Amino acid sequence: MTSSVIGHLILKDWRLNRLLISLSIGVGLIALVIAQYAGGAARLLGSVWFFVSLCILGSMLPASAILNERKKQTLAFVMSLPVSSVQYTIAKALSTSAMFLVPWLTLLISALVFIEMRHAIPHGIIPMLLILAMLPLIAFCLISAIALVGESEGWLMAASILCNSSYWFVWYLLARIPSLTANWSGPVAVWNPAALIVLAAEVGSIASIVGVTFFFQSRKRNFI
Amino acid sequence: MNDLAFELSGVSKKYRYFTLEDIHLKLPRGQIMGLIGANGAGKSTTIRVLMGLVHQDSGEVRVLGHRMPAEQVAAKWDIGFASEDMRLYDSMTLDWHMRFMRSIYPNWDASYAQLLLQRFGLRAEQKMKGFSHGQRVKAALLLVLARKPQLLVLDEPTTGLDPVARHEVLRELTGVMAEEGRSILFSSHNTQDVEQISDQITFIDRGRIIDSMDKETYLDRWRRLRLEVPLGIELPPLPGIVGVQRRGRLAVATSNAFVPDLAHAYEHTGVRVQSIESMTLEEIFVANVEHNREEVEA
Repeated sequence: MTSSVIGHLILKDWRLNRLLISLSIGVGLIALVIAQYAGGAARLLGSVWFFVSLCILGSMLPASAILNERKKQTLAFVMSLPVSSVQYTIAKALSTSAMFLVPWLTLLISALVFIEMRHAIPHGIIPMLLILAMLPLIAFCLISAIALVGESEGWLMAASILCNSSYWFVWYLLARIPSLTANWSGPVAVWNPAALIVLAAEVGSIASIVGVTFFFQSRKRNFI
Repeated sequence: MNDLAFELSGVSKKYRYFTLEDIHLKLPRGQIMGLIGANGAGKSTTIRVLMGLVHQDSGEVRVLGHRMPAEQVAAKWDIGFASEDMRLYDSMTLDWHMRFMRSIYPNWDASYAQLLLQRFGLRAEQKMKGFSHGQRVKAALLLVLARKPQLLVLDEPTTGLDPVARHEVLRELTGVMAEEGRSILFSSHNTQDVEQISDQITFIDRGRIIDSMDKETYLDRWRRLRLEVPLGIELPPLPGIVGVQRRGRLAVATSNAFVPDLAHAYEHTGVRVQSIESMTLEEIFVANVEHNREEVEA
């Protein structure tokens, strides 16, 4: 019965945040179309919009789905239901992850399909595209974790500012790895060790964030 | 089947600026307990510990036979909880909330929910953001009551309600008790509301339970004695007197264990008893708190 309550909590979050999800998919797709069909500065603008739409979703979703429940005092209502704090965290982690992953995957797959079909952008960019697309996912996980554990708007704002201001620095660092940049204008996607190590590090950081979040949540003694 | 709705034994919870200390409290099934305390007395903390939302540092909590917080999921199936500061989702209608609850609770009574909608004058199709405070409280109560829980835990449900809404809410709570075995814990700083519906009354102050007994016993035991004290006579300290206010020859003594012999004892010392007055629950609460604070500070 408890798993069914968790399911209902996940559906509830979807229902409450569906506008934000739809908007991010819409804006991201428009950006992709611009990046694929326009030339010059508009292509660059479209590419930036594409990432920005994921970055904004990564910041707004934790605020809307996690922190608002505390801020708008609906948490007491949820916690009056037959769930424990850990089960609430599981429901929240699953719903917010799914709400982020659906637009993230939709946009990422759309980008790959566009690259595959249109040939306007070289296939060599694909590893870098995946590496860069993982960054908003990591930021989303980190901001969500801080929203769940920190329980305050201040902490969430700090995490959002930190993540959003770090993108450009990380992009700069990645662009300075020659084995990553050497093939990005080539006709074929090259999955060399550097690309795989960076991707593995990104996946590892997500797993660590999730683990640490559940560790802290399970030790909480005051939930409201 | 356990015959207690809940039992707290030696429960303590320490915060930086507040401590809930050694709480012992129990409510037999089928009864209503009113928890009265000033703001910041520890009512909400006690209720949150009871609900498993805050973990006690020490002591044992059992609700409907379940150990809390470990077995809170099992217990919460039969607990209906609403608090004054609890909000529903602003962007959703009351009907959405009702469907949400119905999808979770198999006991949801749709016809009772419709009845409550009418009695409380609520519109199911209206979004919560358009509801007044009173309507929000009534909506939260509707969602709780239509689940038919064994135990209702209500943290200041009547705070901020107008007299008509308060009456509607209290009437519905009394109606709940028509079903056998259902219990209510209901906190408030409004003694009138508590007095109106409670079987048992508990006073809490500064994180400690200062008194807990049935309503009639409070009203029977507490009396105010108006005294005339002749010059040269000192008021004797008598057992059962918890407070004396003296102004010249007139004095008012408050007793928490009144027996007719108390008046005779005063008269025996030359003090004339002008009148013996019953006290309201609010007067009893205030006198109890003041007496308790004096004892703690002494």
